[in-house]
Formats: sequence, C-alpha cells, structure tokens
Amino acid sequence: MAEKYDSTTATFMGVPRKEIPWWPTIDYAKCNFCMDCDKFCPHKVFEKHEDKEKKLVVANPYNCVVFCRACMKLCEPDALIFPEKKEITALIKNIRNKSENND
Amino acid sequence: MTKKVSVLPCCGINKTVGLVTTEIGLKLKEINRSIELISPATLSVDQKRFQELILESQVIVIDGCATRCATKLLENGQYTKVKRIFIPEESKKYEFRLGKTLRLSGEGKKFAEKIAKRILDELKKEAERVKEPIVERDFGTIDYFEVTYDKYHFRVPKAGYYFSENDCWVKQEGEKALLGVTDYLQNKSSDILFVDLPEIGKEVEQFDEIVNFESVKALLSLISPVSGVVSAINGKLEEEPDLLNNDPYEQGWTIEITLTDFDEEKELLMDGKTYFEYMKKKIEEEL
Ligand code: SF4
Ligand code: SF4
Repeated sequence: MAEKYDSTTATFMGVPRKEIPWWPTIDYAKCNFCMDCDKFCPHKVFEKHEDKEKKLVVANPYNCVVFCRACMKLCEPDALIFPEKKEITALIKNIRNKSENND
Repeated sequence: MTKKVSVLPCCGINKTVGLVTTEIGLKLKEINRSIELISPATLSVDQKRFQELILESQVIVIDGCATRCATKLLENGQYTKVKRIFIPEESKKYEFRLGKTLRLSGEGKKFAEKIAKRILDELKKEAERVKEPIVERDFGTIDYFEVTYDKYHFRVPKAGYYFSENDCWVKQEGEKALLGVTDYLQNKSSDILFVDLPEIGKEVEQFDEIVNFESVKALLSLISPVSGVVSAINGKLEEEPDLLNNDPYEQGWTIEITLTDFDEEKELLMDGKTYFEYMKKKIEEEL
C-alpha cells in the first residue's frame, strides 16, 4: 500500500509534508521491541533491524499521517512519543499564511 | 447488575499482556460468581458452544495486544452488547508497565484487580444510567459526488459538509455541528464492531481524537476537524455500529459539538468538491 505516495512531493493542508515535523519517536528506554506498531502501521514508517541493537527505527518519518497517533494507542509500554498537536497546527497555519502573502 | 455478564479474555499465554487478561477474567469471576467465562480456545473451534451466552449477555472482551484475538473471535458470531478492554490503554490509564515476565508478577495481579473492580463499577453505573431517548436526525436530501473503484463505491456530499485531510467531516448547523467519518475511512476499516463515544460535555480541540472505533482490520479514530464541546452523541451507534459503514454521512453521524472557533478553523478544511478530488487521488495512490 501507499506505493505511489511520495513524501518528497506530498502536501498536507497545502503545506509540503517535509515541512511538518509529525512522526513518532521511539523511547528506547521503554520499547520492548514487540513490533506491534510496525505490524499495525500501513504506511511503512517503521523499519525492523533485527540484527542491530535498535531493532526498530523510524525509517520514513514523512510517511506518517499528520495527526495520526494510532500506533501510540497500541504500544503497551507507552514508548512512542508525538509532538504537541497545537504547535503543529500553529506551524501549519504560519506556513500557509506566509505562502499566501508571497502569492 | 441485572443483565447477564460474560467475559472473553484473549488469554495469550506467551505474553505478559495476555496473562493479565486471564487474571482480569478470574478476578471478575471471583468477585461475582454469576459472571460466565468464555474460553477463547473453545470459541475458536466451536462457535456454537457459547452462541446463546454471547447473544444474551453483555460480553466483556479483553485483548492484551494489537493482534486483538478476542475481538477477532467475535467477528462471525452474533452479539448484542460488548464492553471493550484493551490492555495497552489500561497501562496508560494506570501508568503501569507490565514488562516482559513469564508469569504475572504481584504488581501485575494488583493491576488486574484494579481493572476488574473498575469494570464492575462501570457496569453498575451503566445499568443505573437513564438512557436518553434516541432522536433521529433529519438530513433531508443530500446530493453526492460518486465514484467506484473495483467493488467499492465512494460518496462525498456536494454541499453543506467540510472535510479534513484525516478523512472526517463536519456539518455546521447554526452554533452546533455534527461530526462523522467519510466513506474513505469507513471503507478502510471495513465492518466496524465497536464505537467508543465521548461523554457529553467533553471539550475537544481541533485535531483531537474524539471517537475511537474498531473493526477486525483496524483500530481507528475520528480526528475532530473542529474544536468545541460535545453536546450530543449518536447513541444508536452503540447498538448498530455498522451505521458507520452503511450511512457514514447521515444516520452514522457520531457526535454533535457546540462550535467555538469554526470560522477560523474552516480555513484548514476542504469543501466537498476539493475533498472528493483529494480522496480519489489518495485511493489511486493505494490501488
Ligand atoms: S509497539 Fe511500542 S514497545 Fe512495541 S515495538 Fe513499537 S514502540 Fe516498541
Ligand atoms: S501515527 Fe499512524 S501513520 Fe504514523 S507511524 Fe503511527 S500508525 Fe503509522
């Protein structure tokens, strides 16, 4: 799924996806590498590195759907951290206003 | 508690989160002997065995992890009333981390006991609560944009609705507004089994998750396109969650909100025409 989705050209609310810092951060002190988040997320945000110490990484942060937090809900040790939604909304509005003024 | 109650824990023996579901089931039975336990292993090979019980009781479904085995066992069966318990959610609620142990620790047992007692409290309160009468909303006649991909049909109302890029809609009605999910989102989740509605009076910020719903395929949320205060819920969804699938823009509405800042928030939303194009592009990317 999402094979044709290209995060380099994608936009969200009219703002380039690349300018919106929304994705989960893994708290490795808490993560037990159950991999449920990776199994669940259909957007290939995570990547498994079974042979490394960090067995799971956020490999494609810009594939993450802005304002989605579905994986956080199913993480039992609460190891997934997201940015403040309010700040991201403010940022999106800011960028939109700027580009409107430039037009 | 007047109605019969049964418990269906996932009982996953190879995960601590699974063990805790068994413990909750046992605790419930210890406290109230009239509660019936349903073995997921038996149910998986013999649907008929518990059929009657599942139909006539309120089933407490307890899942340890995202695989949601207990939920999936209910899929084919007929049931009337379900209460959902999801351990990752409980861990957050009680700020308790189970860790990975072969057997459930003493702390883990206490955690299970707390959850079991809370479940019983909630059942009692629910039984005492006077249900508000369900009032049908009148949507009049709505014109739709329509498109079909394979065997899936998608509609988007042409006017009166605003949409977010998270595939949720808002329909303003004066100071208030109704909220729901779009055909795209209901299609993605397929048959919805449970809808978890917020309490009336709850404050919502724009882009908060305000309604959670669940199908065999996925755990999904309605991300609120607007902020405000919940003024009504669609109680019908508790008994007929499939309204979200069959009629997402009308009788499958989820909540009503008293708007606080709609004029400004609207700027981040799309009208029907724009959302229809956005949705088609998204579907085509996924085909
Ligand atoms: S669900 Fe949580 S604990 Fe499991 S791998 Fe993902 S971040 Fe780690
Ligand atoms: S928030 Fe949603 S899209 Fe982003 S990684 Fe988690 S499940 Fe995937």
